[in-house]
Amino acid sequence: MSAPRTIRPLLFVLAALAAMATSAPPAFAAPAANDQCYACHKDGETPQALAYAKDVHYQAGLTCADCHGGDASLDQKETGMATSRGYLGKFKKSDIPVVCGKCHGAGDSEFKRRFHLSAVSDSLMAGVHGEALRANEKGPQCVSCHGVHNILKVSDPASPVSPGHVVKTCATCHSNATYMRDFNPRLPVDQLEKYLTSVHGQKNAQGDPKPATCVSCHSNHMVMRVKDPRSPVYAMRIPATCAKCHADAKYMAGYHIPTDQYAQYRKSRHGIALLEHSDLNAPACNSCHSNHGAAPPGAMSVVSVCGNCHQSNAELFLKSPHAAPFEKQKLAACVVCHGNHGVQSPTDSLVSMVAPAPCAKCHKQDGTDRAAPIILHMRALLDSLSGGQARADSMMQRAEQKGMDVSDAKYDLKDVHQALVQSRVAIHSFKLGELADAIHPGIAVLAATETAAKEAVHDYYFRRQGLAVATLIVTIVIVLLWLKIREIERDQKAKKPM
Amino acid sequence: MKRSLQDRLLEWLRQRLPVDAVTEFASHKKVPAYKGSIWYYFGGIALFLFIVQVTTGILLVMYYQPGVQTGYESVRFIVVHVKFGWLVRSIHTWSANLMIFAVFVHMFSVYFTKAYRKPRELTWFTGLVLLGLCMGFGFSGYLLPWNTLAFFATKVGTAIVATTPFVGKTIMEILRGGKDVGAETLTRFFGLHIAVMPAIFTLVLGAHLLLIQIQGMHEPHHWEHAPESEKRYMPFFPNFVLRDLLLWLIVLNVLAILAVMFPWELGFKADPSAAAPMGIKPEWYFLFMYQALKFFPGKILVFDGDAVGVVLFGIGGLLWALVPIWDAKLPQGSRNRIVTYLGIAVVFMIIILTGIGLR
Repeated sequence: MSAPRTIRPLLFVLAALAAMATSAPPAFAAPAANDQCYACHKDGETPQALAYAKDVHYQAGLTCADCHGGDASLDQKETGMATSRGYLGKFKKSDIPVVCGKCHGAGDSEFKRRFHLSAVSDSLMAGVHGEALRANEKGPQCVSCHGVHNILKVSDPASPVSPGHVVKTCATCHSNATYMRDFNPRLPVDQLEKYLTSVHGQKNAQGDPKPATCVSCHSNHMVMRVKDPRSPVYAMRIPATCAKCHADAKYMAGYHIPTDQYAQYRKSRHGIALLEHSDLNAPACNSCHSNHGAAPPGAMSVVSVCGNCHQSNAELFLKSPHAAPFEKQKLAACVVCHGNHGVQSPTDSLVSMVAPAPCAKCHKQDGTDRAAPIILHMRALLDSLSGGQARADSMMQRAEQKGMDVSDAKYDLKDVHQALVQSRVAIHSFKLGELADAIHPGIAVLAATETAAKEAVHDYYFRRQGLAVATLIVTIVIVLLWLKIREIERDQKAKKPM
Repeated sequence: MKRSLQDRLLEWLRQRLPVDAVTEFASHKKVPAYKGSIWYYFGGIALFLFIVQVTTGILLVMYYQPGVQTGYESVRFIVVHVKFGWLVRSIHTWSANLMIFAVFVHMFSVYFTKAYRKPRELTWFTGLVLLGLCMGFGFSGYLLPWNTLAFFATKVGTAIVATTPFVGKTIMEILRGGKDVGAETLTRFFGLHIAVMPAIFTLVLGAHLLLIQIQGMHEPHHWEHAPESEKRYMPFFPNFVLRDLLLWLIVLNVLAILAVMFPWELGFKADPSAAAPMGIKPEWYFLFMYQALKFFPGKILVFDGDAVGVVLFGIGGLLWALVPIWDAKLPQGSRNRIVTYLGIAVVFMIIILTGIGLR
């Protein structure tokens, strides 16, 4: 049974593509001497032929037929471009990665080794762009980024994928809301706009090839979704991706910024949460510095940046007596007390007049600073609640070890913990009254839970004492009863006739 | 001469009840006194523990609220908030276990002394009914706190019932009140535990005690041919009654020590959607049966292994219950070795299987 006439040409094209994909790549190293296709098209001054003269493939000796099929040695259009000789004509867009993959796909050959070619077409198809192309013919493929007949080396500044152009090349699609709607309507289209405001973007615009472009972070051919754990911009991988450049002292030389951020971050509260505990809500570099618009936050922006997560703390700080002097002295708010990349879990020891506590950096305990006694009072309030919580916890444990049920009191103890958390937030108001208001409900609950724990332990001993008394009484009755039985039986024996 | 209050009360009763007949009966009632007399007391101990169960059960039911949402919470309330609630619950649980133990010991003492023989067959049968009811009390009461262990043990226990050929699934669904252990199971177990079974138990216990009073205590078989001068008796009243009371007080002390020093844990509330915790096993008095079933292979010929096990246990239980009948057909004598050896084998089997199960 033969195929219907209408699908015969399609089958032929598919067979030809399959043959091309599996056939050995051409083994040239200089412009082909006998490329009749190119010769005619050049004579005809077709745009393709004119562009191809500068193409890296032309320089490598590839003929038109190496991509389009046919026989480049024949000067007759009818024979050289005959379908019987494998001529394919203009490709469907979705077939382009297959055609390019003949040299830029998997497999090994002398040609590939000579030009150090890797399987980038396979990488493309494994990524989100390949997925888009399979779903929609309009999707991105090789020529979308590299051009068609005028493909240049990436190192060539004129190449659309060179560091100076790649951002705009990506933006051709990614800044086009109408185009992107067909693929991922939820994806923002303002990446280029943001990038141009970033330090990376500004330096790139000045012609510096080293700052990050799209491909530095997202990879080039195998671009993955941000939510894909394999992606270099997946939340947990972002710090390492940024660190590729920012932790490389040699690469960063000349920019006059530290290169220990990643080392600090990994040991920080944020870094441990994200990298060790896989808490994807924990901040990575982009959470504070932005991603496409990456730049260091200004001193007065720090409160807003930290406030994205630590909202209450930020609000209280902005209303606090510290807000105005910090702004005046251009102090980076939160960072002054907590640090930045190496931020650690804060402890109550931060509220202290003893160095290295941050309060002691500015306030003096010399009797002239009105803030010093307030700071000490605040610390005493925090200690009363945290110390009380630890004491109550230990009392509960003691009661539980004795088998007493203190689950109600333990449940109430959660309110103490909650009050402590709220107090540690309230401290950012730097007002004694607000801190006291947050602490007092906890102190009240603490007293009740401590009483409950004490009663439980007391009850434990009361039960044992009660048992001892009851057992003693019953034992005395048992002994008396035994004596009575003996007496009765003695009497019975005595009365018994001999 | 002025009469004492005691005399006046006795006189008042005498005019209304046959007090003299009762005291006359009591004064002549005798209990055989020999080295095996100790076994007579276990029935009394079981009776005392039953009284404790009724008393503490009434106290518990004043606060207990059956239901999936309320069962666990109300028991927790009893244990944590009710004055001496923890003690009442702990005594109820310990007493239940001691009572089943006492009933088992009582049954085996009757078996080995062959006190079930004519004319005491009915006493034996009623006693076995009481043992079955005790185990039923234990099984139904275990679920009431609706904690994790109770829930899954009931699930396992009722599932074993389902393996009984032909009627197993129906009985299981009647027990559970549906396909699975749930709110319906809890409410029907509660009803059985506090109303149905106590009523039946009281009636059967009454019959059991009445039979003992009518037939008197069983005398040892070696007395059959012994001269009267070698037989020793003690008066039932006051000697035996006071000794009984003495033992009750000792048991009360033991019970108090166990209840206070080892209060019965409540555990966590049952979560029917959770996976069964590791090592779920029934209460110790069901353990020998549960463990024995584990030794049966999944299939025996074409039959389900568990079903064969349940049937074999049923046949064994029936043979045990009918010992007064088949023992009578065997060559009579004070030392019927077959019955004794069978009893020893059963005791060893129960001890070994329970030991394995407890590991």
